[in-house]
Amino acid sequence: MSESSGNGGKWLDAHYDPVAGLFTFSPCVDLADLSGDGESRLVVGDLGSGSTGMKLKVFRGTALLSESTLLDLPAGLVAFFMDLHEPRIPAVAVASGPCVYVYKNLRPYFKFTLPGLEVNSLEQDVWQQAREGQIDPLTLKEMLESIRKKADVPLSMRSLRFLSLETDDMDDFVQLHKQQPIRRQTVITCIGTLKKSTADDDGVSCLVIGTESSDVYVLDPEAFVILSKMSLPAAPTMMDVTGQFDVEFRITVACRDGNIYVLRRELDKPKYCIKLSSHPVGLVRVGKNVMVGCTDESLQGFTQKGKKLWRTVLAAPITTMAAMDLPTRGFQAVLVGLANCEVQLYRDKNLLSTIKTPDVVTSICFGRYGREDGTLIMTTKGGGLMVKILKRTAVFDDRDGAPGPPLAQSVRLNVPKKTKLYVDQTLRERENGLAMHRAFQMDLSRMRLTAAKAYVKALESSLAPVSSSISEPLKMNAVVQGLGPSFKLTLNVQNTAACRPATNLAISFLYDEGLYRMRNPYMRIPLLVPGLVYPVETSVECTSDKGISDIIKVFVLHEGRSCPLLTAHINMPVSEGEMLN
Amino acid sequence: MGLFDKLAGWLGLKKEVNVLCLGLDNSGKTTIINKLKPCNAQAQDIVPTIGFSIEKFKTSSLSFTVFDMSGQGRYRNLWEHYYKEGQAIIFVIDSADKLRMVVAKEELDTLLNHPDIKHRRIPILFFANKMDVRDALSSVKVSQLLCLENIKDKPWHICATDALKGEGLPEGVDWLQDQIKTIRT
Ligand SMILES: Nc1nc2c(ncn2[C@@H]2O[C@H](COP(=O)(O)OP(=O)(O)OP(=O)(O)O)[C@@H](O)[C@H]2O)c(=O)[nH]1
Ligand SMILES: [Mg+2]
Repeated sequence: MSESSGNGGKWLDAHYDPVAGLFTFSPCVDLADLSGDGESRLVVGDLGSGSTGMKLKVFRGTALLSESTLLDLPAGLVAFFMDLHEPRIPAVAVASGPCVYVYKNLRPYFKFTLPGLEVNSLEQDVWQQAREGQIDPLTLKEMLESIRKKADVPLSMRSLRFLSLETDDMDDFVQLHKQQPIRRQTVITCIGTLKKSTADDDGVSCLVIGTESSDVYVLDPEAFVILSKMSLPAAPTMMDVTGQFDVEFRITVACRDGNIYVLRRELDKPKYCIKLSSHPVGLVRVGKNVMVGCTDESLQGFTQKGKKLWRTVLAAPITTMAAMDLPTRGFQAVLVGLANCEVQLYRDKNLLSTIKTPDVVTSICFGRYGREDGTLIMTTKGGGLMVKILKRTAVFDDRDGAPGPPLAQSVRLNVPKKTKLYVDQTLRERENGLAMHRAFQMDLSRMRLTAAKAYVKALESSLAPVSSSISEPLKMNAVVQGLGPSFKLTLNVQNTAACRPATNLAISFLYDEGLYRMRNPYMRIPLLVPGLVYPVETSVECTSDKGISDIIKVFVLHEGRSCPLLTAHINMPVSEGEMLN
Repeated sequence: MGLFDKLAGWLGLKKEVNVLCLGLDNSGKTTIINKLKPCNAQAQDIVPTIGFSIEKFKTSSLSFTVFDMSGQGRYRNLWEHYYKEGQAIIFVIDSADKLRMVVAKEELDTLLNHPDIKHRRIPILFFANKMDVRDALSSVKVSQLLCLENIKDKPWHICATDALKGEGLPEGVDWLQDQIKTIRT
């Protein structure tokens, strides 16, 4: 089990050939079952050295199966079903220059050339004069120069080439070309496919091509006529197509003006525009959202209507991007190749895993290769080919701080089952709610009445430790200290009147003389200044050693009155000490 | 062979053995098992197995019940449910599928590390199948790529086979029969 290669334990290294001699980029790589035997092949438009050695290569497993020379640099390559013939074998379309070359069974089948563009009429006139020998090459050059400066319609390739020539070569060039009509041709910048009328995997697809002249064409798969033409504000560089031509479709195009435009059916102008802060280098649609990689080393997510969802910063510049779509597992994510020899997997803005590669990856393609659905194919800057297979047991979890409910929230609590008693009670409560409420209110009122009665009685007989009589408003609390048998009893007496002092007061105690002995059971209290607390101390001795306690009643009396002003009951603690005598 | 076995042999009663037939999809498991059956019981068309199927065939002294498991990715998690019952394993490899040799190795490693297999001396027979295909790997190369030399605690054997012609199959089945007999007696 080779987990040393930095796959995060999720990929099996199926194949790596560092000198496969494959120089390409993601739009020129596709996977398709080209022989109808259930085994997918890898189709690559190889750029060669950039000027020579352009090839269409097909791989099966680890081996190169076939290669054929391409006439021009490929700008994009797609496999698509162009007819309903059985067995269902897709054709391969290679876009290069102004043409789309269609291969069937890996043999050239059809060549589609983009319609020529409008030619400047002044330019045409000038060349006409040159042909008739009315003007010499130098005059021709001057006139073309002036047309180039002010014309709305740009000059043709031929005129531009002519203008770049040295004076000596001009004559020959005019002689060589003057007989041919002037043509202005655009080139294809990107290519995609769009299902014609069904969403089936093997449904017939139209080709969608973007051109340097800022147009997008949809081609009929069988007749290769233009079904639809749409215009963009700038030249497209990358595109994603979804939907069906006959029903509803959406073409998301990244353009050279740094914007992303969304084209819809029955509109020849973009419906939405996403303005980016820097140029897009990768465009992948995941479900209904578009993920864009930008030159400022960022990955951004947008809704299909162009609302920005998130932006995340990457560790290095992006070299390429591709979708990772595993329908059998319901998994969709984006693979991002970085210049620091890493390929990162993102689901939305969350990094799921990182693959370390021995070289910078220039193209990524994920899909079914051979018989394996989860195959990742990468080519590197040095021309290497790398194949990794997703482990059957691999799981990707985003352990990130994405906002949302915490995990604990979805953990179910272990709520005990409702018992029969509980259910019965609930039923009873539901049925007799009114009566129960009434009974409760009645009892509450009764209790309040009883409490009020007791309070009034206490007040009337001055049983409370607070006297509210107007002449002598007093408050008293008692503190017992000690463990026994001797206790210290402190009575804090306070005159609560506003300014009238209280005089002629005395304190007396009532207690069980068989239990307690008190030094002075009757005490006179000095004049009480309002507000101050007067501690009156005395000591009590417990005479019993049986561990029992009793209440001592304290009365505050006024001389000449038989009724106490207030009463306090002191709950004596149990004596814990030994009798000394 | 004990007296009972001999007796059973004379009476046409044979020892029953449960064998698991594992390997990636398209490796040729069903084709191999089909070829091991008597001529008149062989199926003509072989289609990819869905889930698994139970097949029976006999050798001179044993009666095999084979669990022909599907090798497709989505069914491979079924394999482990039969590990307990299996008394021997036939592991089939498509020697022509170099790309997926790592996948075969991964599944083999998972098998060998499974608690129901790990500590049993269960015999494993490897069929390096499709040896007739041009540039198929040799059985030596296959056993290298699968690191079979690391299997120390189980008897194993690898043979190159061509299931379409039936070549190499008898050799493997003989080995398996001997192994089962030595374990049992
Ligand atoms: N050339 C060649 N083809 C073989 C050989 N063995 C099997 N095949 C072919 O390989 C294909 C798959 O064989 P199956 O027996 O269905 O494979 P399997 O392992 O049972 O596949 P699943 O049931 O999907 O797991 C069939 O088309 C067979 O004809 C062989 O030895 N040589
Ligand atoms: Mg089968």
